[in-house]
Amino acid sequence: MSKELTGRIYDIQGFSVQDGPGVRTTVFMKGCPLHCPWCHSPESQAFRKQLSWMSMRCKGTEACDSRCMKACPQNAIELGETRKDSLTGNDLQMIHVKRDLCDDCGKCTEVCYPEALYLCGEDYTVERLVSRLIREKPFFKGGGGVTISGGECLCQPEYVLEVLKQLKAADINIAIDTTGFVKWEIIESILPYTDLFLYDLKHMDSEKHKAATGVPNELILENARKIAENGGKMQIRIPVIPMFNHDEENIRKTAEFCVSVRDAVTLVQLLPYHNMGVMKYLRISDKPVMEATPPSDEYMNKLLAIMEEYGLPAQIH
Amino acid sequence: MYQKAPITDRVKRIREKCRNTKPSLDISRYRLVTEFYMANPQLTGILKRAKNLRNLFENLPVVINEDELIVGWQGKKYRSSALYPEVSWKWFMDELRINYIRTRSVDPYEIDEEDEKYLLETGDFWLKNNMSAISDEYLPRPLQDKLDQSGVIFFNKSDNAVAPVGHFVANFWTATQKGFGAIAQEARDKMTYMEEHGIFGEDVQKYHFYRAVEIVSEGIIIWSKRYAAEAKRQADECADPARKAELLEMADTLDWIMEHPCRNFHDALQCIYLYQLAMCLDAQLHGISFGRMDQYLGRYYEKDIADGTLTPEKAQELVDMFFLKLMELNKIWSEEATKSNPGYTCGTLITLGGVDMEGRDATNPVTYMFLQSSARMSLNVPQALRVHEGTPADLWEAAVETTKVCGGIPTFESDIAIIPAMMRRGVPLEYARNYCLHGCVEPGIGGYEWAQPGGNGTQSYINIVNAMLMAFNNGIGTMKVPGQPANTKIQGPETGYLYEMESMDEVLEAVKKQFYFWMPWHANCTNTWESIAAFHSPLPMVSATFAGCMESGKDVMWGGAMFNSTGNSCIGVGNVAESLNVIDQVCFRKKWATTRELYDALMNNWEGYEELRQRIVGQLPHFGNADPDCDKYMTFAANTYADSINQCVGPRGNHYAAGCYPVTLNVVFGYFTGATPDGRKQGEPLTDGISPVQAMDKNGPICTMQSLLTFDYGAYGNGTLCNMKFHPTSLAAKDGISKLVNVMKSYFEQGGMELQLNIISGDTLRDAQAHPENYRDLVVRVAGFSAYFVEVFKDSQDDLIRRTEMAL
Repeated sequence: MSKELTGRIYDIQGFSVQDGPGVRTTVFMKGCPLHCPWCHSPESQAFRKQLSWMSMRCKGTEACDSRCMKACPQNAIELGETRKDSLTGNDLQMIHVKRDLCDDCGKCTEVCYPEALYLCGEDYTVERLVSRLIREKPFFKGGGGVTISGGECLCQPEYVLEVLKQLKAADINIAIDTTGFVKWEIIESILPYTDLFLYDLKHMDSEKHKAATGVPNELILENARKIAENGGKMQIRIPVIPMFNHDEENIRKTAEFCVSVRDAVTLVQLLPYHNMGVMKYLRISDKPVMEATPPSDEYMNKLLAIMEEYGLPAQIH
Repeated sequence: MYQKAPITDRVKRIREKCRNTKPSLDISRYRLVTEFYMANPQLTGILKRAKNLRNLFENLPVVINEDELIVGWQGKKYRSSALYPEVSWKWFMDELRINYIRTRSVDPYEIDEEDEKYLLETGDFWLKNNMSAISDEYLPRPLQDKLDQSGVIFFNKSDNAVAPVGHFVANFWTATQKGFGAIAQEARDKMTYMEEHGIFGEDVQKYHFYRAVEIVSEGIIIWSKRYAAEAKRQADECADPARKAELLEMADTLDWIMEHPCRNFHDALQCIYLYQLAMCLDAQLHGISFGRMDQYLGRYYEKDIADGTLTPEKAQELVDMFFLKLMELNKIWSEEATKSNPGYTCGTLITLGGVDMEGRDATNPVTYMFLQSSARMSLNVPQALRVHEGTPADLWEAAVETTKVCGGIPTFESDIAIIPAMMRRGVPLEYARNYCLHGCVEPGIGGYEWAQPGGNGTQSYINIVNAMLMAFNNGIGTMKVPGQPANTKIQGPETGYLYEMESMDEVLEAVKKQFYFWMPWHANCTNTWESIAAFHSPLPMVSATFAGCMESGKDVMWGGAMFNSTGNSCIGVGNVAESLNVIDQVCFRKKWATTRELYDALMNNWEGYEELRQRIVGQLPHFGNADPDCDKYMTFAANTYADSINQCVGPRGNHYAAGCYPVTLNVVFGYFTGATPDGRKQGEPLTDGISPVQAMDKNGPICTMQSLLTFDYGAYGNGTLCNMKFHPTSLAAKDGISKLVNVMKSYFEQGGMELQLNIISGDTLRDAQAHPENYRDLVVRVAGFSAYFVEVFKDSQDDLIRRTEMAL
């Protein structure tokens, strides 16, 4: 008996308002070939199920008799800092996960009843995901539908293709949110079922692209051209990251590229860096996190004006 | 494209004055009523009430404040509360005697020392001579002992009915278009006819009624003309020619309206305000609502604009001024009752939009003007917007923009669900289409249906969580008073103990038995109260315009209205649903604990069972996340409650109508509710309306809505309330509003009844708690009405913050 096809998902978000037109439900898939330091969903990067700890939910080791520490076969959980409970004002003894010892076995999550410790990532069969999405169809108004995002969702191509086929059969609008860093054959296979690509352009200079994200940009640009040649539609997304790609020169080059595939571009989104994702890093690692000051509204408006100068339909956010 | 226009300088001045004036007590009404009642012990029933009101019309001070265009007040002092000793009094004297009024924790009131002295000297006259004390005497026998302090129904052996009927909407069409001159004449004609042909048989009651209508109709005309004289007096003394002209115009309006049909928009707004105030003087301010204001004002506005006698800007200023008069209105409650309705508000709900009696979209320019006034002044005047398939996109946008500024204003009410719910209680289609919202969220046909949706005002809520807990404890309440032995008094049916139950069917059967016992007892008590109130406190001022009353010769309280109904609201349906699911999962499916262990956990308020409690809270699915098991028990809880109350019949011959809206009573009732299987500890808040258990709607608004759609709204003729809080970021994008509107549309198309939105962040609220001085203008919808967040008491603030931020 062959193993049933499953996809690894770390979140499903209804009333997703930032991921394509209309009212959408976005499926976030795990695993990404890029490692952008500004990533606001760090839990999306690794494909493996990852031990996460949300301090807000932790009731303190006194309340649960340190069940997690006792359950850990690797002795990877130790006492950490204390936290003041916002409602009672009491100090709660928190834990700390020694990441070098933890192997994400998940034993501690089984005894953490408030689910402060949990494994991030869940395997869904096609049927389970599709049936849930179809149930939400009455809400997909205003050109809305389903967005498959990530991580890089196209790193799980067979699963995504099967989901797309079934959603299309149910006449649901589909958007694919992608880094573009995948083999053309994969994009080609899903193209017939995809109404819109949410397509990231992070930097026009391949070396700088590689230095920051770990991969060069040639394949990404090449795939964008091919999508355009094959009649696909793209909503270009440019994360505006201070000290990386925010300079006018890069933005102009990006605009020029967009102009070169103009017929395929429905919208250019300028997404200002924000630091709301910083706390998410703390759930899965101890490593220092990039923190920068978000670009000012004034600066974002300047970049928007540049896009408009090139005759591109653009917006901030 | 939606735009907010700036307010005029004088609107700004009045608004500041209103926000900066600390509410105080005004004894003008009290003094007149006390003197009248002391001097007239021979008067009883409807004639006493009519003559008492007439005395107020003739002798209350008439006050026209600087800058005002719309006038009328219940006393002398600005933003003051009148006192209504003939309704209920003991709580007031208790608070007055311990000098608590000025210092209490919620809604304190200023009071002059001299007035206080007068109240202390005369107050004892009212202690037993008020509606509350009188109706206590008549309560059914079991209230005296067995059912007292049950924690399920809120009738006890004494101190019931501290608020009057309230929650009604008069017929403002008749008031504006017919006038009280014609109504008084109609009453006189009826009496003359009877005098000539015999006041025989049951007609004698009609004769009394018409006599009362004549007295109050003449009275309200006198009152209006006294205001006209005051406007004229001020005009004569006014040096500023512009203000002088205004005062003369006001005098003209006040001299004309009430007696005659209104001629224009200004006439109509002034007439509506004075009539509303008159009903408050008679019946006490308590959720007395305005109904479909855009509908009965629209024609005047359109005519004036066509005639060139009014500009949109001038009309908008008039509406602003009208709103500021509503903001002035407030009523002192007992401290306990105030906790459920904090923020100096009184629930004068306005209904906008919807379809007309033929089913066409009824939006008109006035609809937009009302939303505009709320938004541009950031005022918590409660408004409900009826929406349907044909609601214009511009109106949706204006409504969401308004709710962004004034959290929860307007509420969104779906014609698709509510019109059939009205019809299910016997209202024909064309009238059902004319429904409005009363008080909080209760639908009724304003001016046609005596809906009494709030029952007697205070005892209209049922704590179904305590009823459920009795099912697990052989009819004994589980609430434990610290330091005292466990309660042993059997009050409900003896349905056995949870640890004796061997299947979910047995559990459900026990819950059902409790519900079918307690709901009729609620109705028995409400009916007893109403039968006494109908004699002692009929309402001829309302009845004068109410469809059906003049025809039948009966007061609304006697069943004279064209349609009749009685409302009810349950509290805690979410806790009941979750608790039943937890019992099923924990005791019968997953077997984490036996029924004995769970029972012991509840009786010990979870002490010693923390592990089990955490597991229940953290690992079981909860209502509001589209989980089919959970939703199944929501259907059971909602239907069992609705069926058991809807079968009951009131004294006007109508069936009761189920509802589910808590104001902030879910917090107050929580104090008196034992621990529940869903992991809630004794004293913690209950669920808010049909909204999911606080902080348990993890999967976002669409899953929540799917769960809410498991409700049979047709059975909830008295309305439901669902609060959804959205973080502002979910609306930040260009098309954010249209996306939100689309979600609401989808919900309503699938049968959803009501939604209200709070688009604010938890951080904002926390900061507002810490620095109230910076957030004086932050309007928050507190379940069923809006209040200024900083004026809401702390537990309710915490409750608001805890509610999941949907978009995060």
